[in-house]
Amino acid sequence: MNPKVSDLISAVSDWENVPDTDHQARENLKELLAGLSMRPVPVGSFHRLWSLGELSAQIALAYFALWIRQWFRSTESRDRAVMEANLRSALKICQRLGYLRGALMKVGQALGNFPDIVPTEFAETLDRLHFDAPPMHFSLLRELLRSELGADPEELFESFETKAFAAASLGQVHLARLKSSETVAVKIQYPGIARTIDADVRNLRALLFPIRLGKDSEYVRRQVEEIHRMLQLEADYEHEAESLRAAHDLFNSGEGIVVPKVYEKYSTKRVLTMDYIPGVLLDDFLATNPSQEQRNQFGAKMYLASLRLYYAGTNYADPHSGNYLFMGDDRLGLIDFGCVQRYGDEEAELIRLAEESASGRPEVLRELFRQGANLEDADLENQEHVKLLEESYKWVCEPIQHEGPFDFGNVEHLQHGIHVLIGLVRKRYTRSHPMYVYLNRSVFGLRALLYRLRAQVDVKALHRQEARVPLGPSLNEFT
Amino acid sequence: MSALTLFLTRRRYRSILYEHAHISPMKVDLQTKVATRQRILTVAAKLFARVGWERATTRSIATSAGIAAGTLFNYFPSKEAIAVTLISDALAKAKEEFEERRRGGESLEEDLFSYIWTGLRYLQPSKTFLGCALETFLSPLARSSPGHPGELIRTEHLETVERLIASHRPVRQHLSAVTMQLYWTLYLGVLAYWATDVSPKQEDTMALLDQSLKLFVASLVGRGVATHRSIQPKGGNQ
Repeated sequence: MNPKVSDLISAVSDWENVPDTDHQARENLKELLAGLSMRPVPVGSFHRLWSLGELSAQIALAYFALWIRQWFRSTESRDRAVMEANLRSALKICQRLGYLRGALMKVGQALGNFPDIVPTEFAETLDRLHFDAPPMHFSLLRELLRSELGADPEELFESFETKAFAAASLGQVHLARLKSSETVAVKIQYPGIARTIDADVRNLRALLFPIRLGKDSEYVRRQVEEIHRMLQLEADYEHEAESLRAAHDLFNSGEGIVVPKVYEKYSTKRVLTMDYIPGVLLDDFLATNPSQEQRNQFGAKMYLASLRLYYAGTNYADPHSGNYLFMGDDRLGLIDFGCVQRYGDEEAELIRLAEESASGRPEVLRELFRQGANLEDADLENQEHVKLLEESYKWVCEPIQHEGPFDFGNVEHLQHGIHVLIGLVRKRYTRSHPMYVYLNRSVFGLRALLYRLRAQVDVKALHRQEARVPLGPSLNEFT
Repeated sequence: MSALTLFLTRRRYRSILYEHAHISPMKVDLQTKVATRQRILTVAAKLFARVGWERATTRSIATSAGIAAGTLFNYFPSKEAIAVTLISDALAKAKEEFEERRRGGESLEEDLFSYIWTGLRYLQPSKTFLGCALETFLSPLARSSPGHPGELIRTEHLETVERLIASHRPVRQHLSAVTMQLYWTLYLGVLAYWATDVSPKQEDTMALLDQSLKLFVASLVGRGVATHRSIQPKGGNQ
């Protein structure tokens, strides 16, 4: 079941128990947000063609509302008036920009401002938030392929199915057979969509930053920049091909994890041709009423895949059910490497600190908070802030420290994670290094999937197996 | 230009386009005539691209083609007529390719998309002067009589479109003038957009054409426009 927009909005209203000194400002904001939720998706114009599905768009707006809500706290009333005016015009423009809602959806999702809903809804909602492109008919595809690859699909491939078999982020996927007889999946991007999204995010930035988000503006700006950067990469299939190739080499055939091979000759920035992997998606797999053992095996593979990539310096940043295929021979297909974050020196240092902090030395953990959550000395004196961060860190580590298989199907674990996150957001302790925008998303995304799978995974053993020296010399101590 | 001159010019233009014979007082054989005509077209296309539509004159075209200005008028009554012929020839070739590439079973939207996009591919060499041509003789405002240069392109294009529409309708219905005008407006809009589109591989025009046709076909069959995909993932990579 999906949460209704009205539920999400009412969750926003109940969010703050702290009395607000400026009642009028609160009312104004409420009115703005209510208008936001009720505005229909534009109908009867080109914008409608560009729009996302109504439900997902509205949920996106609700997430956006949650995010906006945070900025209004602890702000001088005269600043609020300016913010309200700016916000009003920003929202008007939002309504006119189709993909901006897609961008907002990503922003809302990625910043981790999840509403206070029950875990099942959370897990399912998180899973449904994706970009959606208009469907493409074969005539359009044919011209696109001709433009991208220099020839009609009939000439390029032995066979090419004219109907898409799956929707993909920003486009759709077609089954084809190469002349060398391999069965492939050809992912094709809707024309111009990448630049449209890019323009929309630029507009979002231009609209939002004059609003002055208070003392955390700089952190929010950096986070949005990171989202912008990742969206640009996600729309570039050449970058995805590179990530696929790197990931393909990380797994050996005995591990039961399959990453499709890329066919460069048939791939460009907008077209990606890779091995077809037969399999079913999570919902269909669950419908077969799998045994606990099967659930555990697949769960372990999903966790292992993320961990292997993590220690290889990349974050599989968008773990949703459409990216995993449950194959008939119990192998796990790992597809869609569009949203993959690669770590540089700064990020590697944060990961090293996170590993080292497991030693239990408080000064290491404080250093992690200093660098990871951008805390200054005064912030570190704030017991409440530090305590919440410790709690969040503890939640992330819980499965890793657990002896034996950890039950991800335990509702309390996911519930607690959401609770801690909401606690941080409530207090506006949302400063973080931009890396965490996607790292948080991948941790929550994976745990939400494992929760749906009801998998029990020996995470500690996997960490012991996968940990690599450069990132955490003291990891053995930890595990 | 007096009304009489205009009338004579149009008559001459039509006779050249439709008859291709008995056009010259000089005794030149057909082969030479065809070669000269082609040379004028090639030279004109280059000149339009190099110096622009405005600055290219019939005199400069004639000079570049190595013929007297008066001789040029035996073939084409005006600069516009040359442009129309270039566009018209390109579109005729595009139509041929479109027909050849049809697989059968395409939807109306697909057929129209292929037809128009193939046309744009063939118009690529004319892109530099298409904008001016649109203003001069393809704009709805420029259409004044059946003999008008743009009218030939319009008529031919709309005839094909009407035929395509008819082939997709279970019951043959008369298409109203308003429907065809709506189509023509969308088509000219796409052409105008394409003429100045600087997006990589004209991807923005491709999206615009796709959406314009969705809108047009939806209006034709009197239904709403699909806003999102109906593909149900069955598994496999996506």
